[in-house]
Amino acid sequence: MRQEVFRMERVTYIDKGIKQLEDFNLQIYQGEIMGLIPINAHGLQGLLQLMQTNLSLYDGHVYYCGERVNSWKSTRRSVNRIGVIDGNSRLVEHMTVTDNIFVLRQGFRQGIIQNKLLKGQLEPFMSDIEMDIPADAYVDKLSAFERVTVELLRAVVAGYRLIVFNEISTVVNGEELSKLYEIMHHYGKQGFSFLYVSPHLEEIMEVCDRVALLSNGRIQKIVQGEQMKAEVVEGYTLEYDRMIRYHMENRDPALWEKKEILSFSHITGEALRDFNMKVYERECLVIQNLDNQVYQDILQVLYGDKKLKKGACFILGKRVQLPASKEIAVISAEPTKTMIFDDMSYMDNLCMGLSRRMSGVWKGNMRDSIRREYGPVLGEEVFQMPVELLSEKQRYQLVYTRILLQKPKVVVCVQPFKGADLEHRVFVWKMMEMLLDKGMSVVILTINLADSMSLADRLVRIGKDGIVQEVKREEFGSLSITAPWLNLYRTEQER
Amino acid sequence: MREEYRLKYLSNRVLLMGAVTLIYFVIEAVRNVLLGIHGEETVLQACIYVLLALLYLIVVWFGIILPYRRSELLVHRFLDGYLTESSDFAEVFQSPSMKLQMDEIEKILRSPKMIDLNKRQAQYLALQNQINPHFLYNTLESIRGEALIAGLDSVADMTEALAKFFRYTITNVRNLVTVQEELDNCETYFLIQKYRFGNRLQLHIEYDVEDWEDIISCKIPKLTLQPILENSIIHGTELKVGTGNLRIQFERTQERLLIRISDDGVGMDEETLARLNRKLGRDGNVLIHEEEARGGIALGNVNSRIHLIFGEEYGLHVYSVPQKGTDVEITIPFAVDESRVKASFM
Repeated sequence: MRQEVFRMERVTYIDKGIKQLEDFNLQIYQGEIMGLIPINAHGLQGLLQLMQTNLSLYDGHVYYCGERVNSWKSTRRSVNRIGVIDGNSRLVEHMTVTDNIFVLRQGFRQGIIQNKLLKGQLEPFMSDIEMDIPADAYVDKLSAFERVTVELLRAVVAGYRLIVFNEISTVVNGEELSKLYEIMHHYGKQGFSFLYVSPHLEEIMEVCDRVALLSNGRIQKIVQGEQMKAEVVEGYTLEYDRMIRYHMENRDPALWEKKEILSFSHITGEALRDFNMKVYERECLVIQNLDNQVYQDILQVLYGDKKLKKGACFILGKRVQLPASKEIAVISAEPTKTMIFDDMSYMDNLCMGLSRRMSGVWKGNMRDSIRREYGPVLGEEVFQMPVELLSEKQRYQLVYTRILLQKPKVVVCVQPFKGADLEHRVFVWKMMEMLLDKGMSVVILTINLADSMSLADRLVRIGKDGIVQEVKREEFGSLSITAPWLNLYRTEQER
Repeated sequence: MREEYRLKYLSNRVLLMGAVTLIYFVIEAVRNVLLGIHGEETVLQACIYVLLALLYLIVVWFGIILPYRRSELLVHRFLDGYLTESSDFAEVFQSPSMKLQMDEIEKILRSPKMIDLNKRQAQYLALQNQINPHFLYNTLESIRGEALIAGLDSVADMTEALAKFFRYTITNVRNLVTVQEELDNCETYFLIQKYRFGNRLQLHIEYDVEDWEDIISCKIPKLTLQPILENSIIHGTELKVGTGNLRIQFERTQERLLIRISDDGVGMDEETLARLNRKLGRDGNVLIHEEEARGGIALGNVNSRIHLIFGEEYGLHVYSVPQKGTDVEITIPFAVDESRVKASFM
């Protein structure tokens, strides 16, 4: 007999007049790792909110650990003991690992904190999962993977029976992900259940027992075991697969191995030491960050947040200050949230990049000609719409078209697929391919290689000691990582 | 002015009066505080007015506004097609006559007559299949074919299967039967269909061996599985090119029995699926309209009977992906005796 840990029965949840979930059914059993693929992400945030807090429902019931915790008939507005782990840390900064795991948990009653005792209590947990995180380390000094592990341990120690991992592969890299799966299976055997939310099918297939497909706030289908490959992979990735095959067949490596366009010379930051790297004209370079501190250093270099300790950037041999240079554009992670100004009009948002290239962009006739040129592509209606009412796809389109108008030599995309559901991933991919087709170099800064690998001409993996590994496209097939398109490279090699 | 804000509605008039009274209290409280500051009133008097204003606000908020909102939500749900019980309104009846009205509606919707009516509808649907010329001709054609090609054994088998099916559908008058009985009926029905489809149709029954003894003795409403299985064949696998696989999966949890009937047929698009689940979720209209598609009737009928017998927490939910197939999940409380069900529904 299977024990149900969590169940949502026919839940309809309306938030601010919008139906987030409709007739939503989901059950998670004890010890199970349940996958959730957002075909489109509508309702995902609502679902995560409802799992943690018992908000008022329009219809349906929510059960947790055998008890009805929420119902349309009565809402207690209480909090469920369900942990959510994602890109944002929920640990209390400037406190140690043991403080976060033991001291801050509900029911901790010791008047005097005995660090030695707590350290002793933490030890069996660490040895259980074969991890070695110093008990007295401050959590803000931990790597992303260590932070995720501490959050997981905190949930386990607090007795949470269900833990949600939301797009965790945007935070931890491939090797760490494999370790995390081991830890999940370890706790799964002890009766803990997991909901693993990810649009990456290969991750789901690797770790999950069953998978639910979320679309428009409803569960479209639940599949398990052998069916997962047949129904999920073949059903939803055919278009993506065809697109990538076409791209790979038509991408000529001779196109880009010509001219050095951007170079980093002896860049030194907090963790990064004497980092040198080159980007060639029209190439797609993927930079995978294996270390969180290094990742932060690179972001600071790109955004000009901190003055470099040492080193410089060059574009076409000319020394440039990165954020100010018009020849380089940066698309931040989750650009639909971070790069669009809702209080400005669509046209103003669109022309922002162009204003760096030419004056007079705010004049009527220039804008009219932009509208004439891009109206048929973007849709005439978007120019009249308030920006906050744009769909997610229109927002992505706005950001990438802005870059297109700016015509930089190099576009750096920071985690371009982060937060995008399956539908929007295809769109983002096409947008980046368009930038490449227009002759720009695209640099993808990522932690997860899944989608980026399909576009890449070259892969550079960076750790604390600078470049750890550099792999050219023709060698991708030999990479020992979990990425969906590697088989395509392998078949290409075989051919 | 928007329709819902017009003063022709009593609720808006009450709201207006409440707001006027509140404003009066607030003005009085402020006036008394100011007088108190200038020493023309005692501080105690000013405090009393402030407290009165706060008390009024709290009483109105918790005693009137929140219950009124809840009552409005329940009425909206009822209009939306959800079955609302009189007990849902327990704290929020707007008047004694409204309570009587709700009791009466509930009595009608939950009467044994309604159950009988639904059961009869299910029997009618099952019978209609036999009267349906296509079904009859196809079956007879199969019998004839078998009689010509082979000996009389298979004819006897088919006839026996048909007789068994009729007997179970019409003669057995109980509302609740065991899973074993329902499954036997499904196998009989499948046997008949098998003569028509041959090897194009495969039935798989999956369960956890440890729980099987408990599962087969669990009580479920009669004619729960066969109409859904029939639906899966007609709307799912019949339209598919190649072999159609039908699966009946049984799963037991602490409280519930989950039965999943799946096909790998043509499936349905997202909009149709959403509409179907919406209909299954809102069964205020327990009697299904004739003009609805037959597939919808079968699912709606089974769902309504489960709701009426076990409550709205149980019932049917459909999952589907176009060209990949459809799963119908039936949720029923796990009960091997009939004590959980009202005597009138036996």
